[in-house]
Amino acid sequence: MAPLNMVFGSVLRKNIIFNNAEVLYKRVNLVNAYSMYGPQFVEPVYKKDKQESMYESGEIENILHVPVKAARVDATCSVFHDELVRKFTNLVMRDGRKILARELIEEAFEKIKRIQLQRYHSTEDPEKKTSVLTDPLKIFHAALANSKPVLQLTPIKRGGVTYQVPVPITDKRSQFLAMKWIILAAKDKDPKVHFPEKLAWELVDAAGNQGKVVKKKQDLHRQCEANRAYAHYRWS
Amino acid sequence: MVYNFFKNLTSEATLRGISSVLHKQRLFCTAAQASQILATNEKHITSFRTAESNPLKHNFDHAYRFYTIPVEVKNQLFQHGGLPKYFNEQAKAFMETCVMVRDPALEILHYLKTADYSRPAIRYVIYGESGCGKSITLAHILHYGLTAGFLLIHVPWVPNWMRVCKEVSNSATREGYVDLNLDAAEWLIHFKNQNAALLNNIDLRVSKEYAWSKREKTEEGVPLLELVEHGINRVKYASECVVALVKEIKLHSTQGRCKTLVVIDGFNAFFHPRTRVVTAEKIQVPPSKITLTEAFIEITKYDWCNGAVILTVDKTGVADDRRESFLPIYQLGKEGFEHLDPFVPISVREYSEKELESCLDYYVDRRWLQNEKSFTEEGRKELKYLCGMNPRRLMHVCAPL
Repeated sequence: MAPLNMVFGSVLRKNIIFNNAEVLYKRVNLVNAYSMYGPQFVEPVYKKDKQESMYESGEIENILHVPVKAARVDATCSVFHDELVRKFTNLVMRDGRKILARELIEEAFEKIKRIQLQRYHSTEDPEKKTSVLTDPLKIFHAALANSKPVLQLTPIKRGGVTYQVPVPITDKRSQFLAMKWIILAAKDKDPKVHFPEKLAWELVDAAGNQGKVVKKKQDLHRQCEANRAYAHYRWS
Repeated sequence: MVYNFFKNLTSEATLRGISSVLHKQRLFCTAAQASQILATNEKHITSFRTAESNPLKHNFDHAYRFYTIPVEVKNQLFQHGGLPKYFNEQAKAFMETCVMVRDPALEILHYLKTADYSRPAIRYVIYGESGCGKSITLAHILHYGLTAGFLLIHVPWVPNWMRVCKEVSNSATREGYVDLNLDAAEWLIHFKNQNAALLNNIDLRVSKEYAWSKREKTEEGVPLLELVEHGINRVKYASECVVALVKEIKLHSTQGRCKTLVVIDGFNAFFHPRTRVVTAEKIQVPPSKITLTEAFIEITKYDWCNGAVILTVDKTGVADDRRESFLPIYQLGKEGFEHLDPFVPISVREYSEKELESCLDYYVDRRWLQNEKSFTEEGRKELKYLCGMNPRRLMHVCAPL
């Protein structure tokens, strides 16, 4: 980051110190080369409730008279739209077949509901009954939260030897890893089992803090713990 | 015959004319009764559910509400098909089989209650866009038929025979005809399952001797169930048994020994020239050359009485060159229309506003709608918009939420 900060210091004549890329992108509207939008364009706000809250807090004043980028095709103002599910759909998608990917996920959600409803109806104890989650969206979020790692191993070469060094990772990276692991776990199946069905089971398992994905996360954490002696190689 | 035909027609016309008046009268006379029922079952005081699970008592007070089909009735009626596959899955997830009491079913029930059974059998043809509830309406009527003591002749889905028949063999008795032995036997089992209890009560006997082969024959005067049993045990003669059975029932019905309710789903499949039934010589067989067709064409004629015929025409039941419209005249074709004419057309439409609300409430009650947003006014509005008031589409739209 240091050389970048110097560059920006000289170009923008501002002494701003950015310690990570995200802050940098926010402060300076970095634009892709050949982007159809100039640097003055802002991202669209396509959610109704977000717009309303922006009006209430007065935040809207900042972007009211600024050109806005066109909304993406998957940006919908539907009340059922969920940003994480959208992201997950894009990771499930292969060869741009988004409709198929969306159908698979919807089918998985339906299956989750069936699994959990059966559990709900089969538990007799009324106290336990209320604790059975039947909302597929909540289960998805819980599964994702339970599968997110906090550390990762990076190969770093010191003195001719490559060490697996534990490094902290960003929230975005850990979210990506969690999604990737869930999808990989769901694809590791018998050819007769359909993807949505296995995905449903993986999500239900992960939401209950068990199953393949959570084990994978725990293994990684254990490995990081074992390699803690190499941690200093990250900076020295 | 022509006289009967016209008489039939006029009775239908008057029925249709006075039906609306009667509805209003019924509204007043049964209000007290309905409130009593509601008071006794406090658990069921909900706007979307009715405790009245006896279709004999269903009237316009129960409209747009769900009623539960008891498990034993479901097992008796629908063990071998009759409910759509996805509907069955839903029933499993909901831990109960619930059917909404809707206008077309109530209309037919009203006609069935008030019709003059000494006149020729009235044919009712249910039609509508796919996914609007034709088969579910049939299920409701079938339940009525069972409780009202009708002998049921129910074909769950005719296109099953025309598309995915299990076995094809040339008929031994009829030249150029084809038997679907396993399907016919399966239907006989279905028939037996639905009607065994009734047939044990009323004594129906075979009216003439049927000689199946040199050694095998069904004597005159044996119970009708024996004929059914013969078809099930000797699969080779199953198709002929179905034809014989249907003719026997028609005869008994005409003579007033039993009341018969004929319920056939996907009836237009009998009149589409293309089928997937192929003989050993790889020649496609039209429905008119299938023995089973003859039986059900026979029972849907109007030359018998003491019965009613309820059919559906469904555009998903035929090959894709006849899917432009769901209207009976188009779906049946010239031949089919002339066969059924005159009939009472009953349209099954998309959900009305009230029905949709009641259905959504039911889904929330069964924990099928889980997304927090679907409880809000905005969410419900969106669901309504997405499904276009089509019941099946609503079911699919709600599935991942």
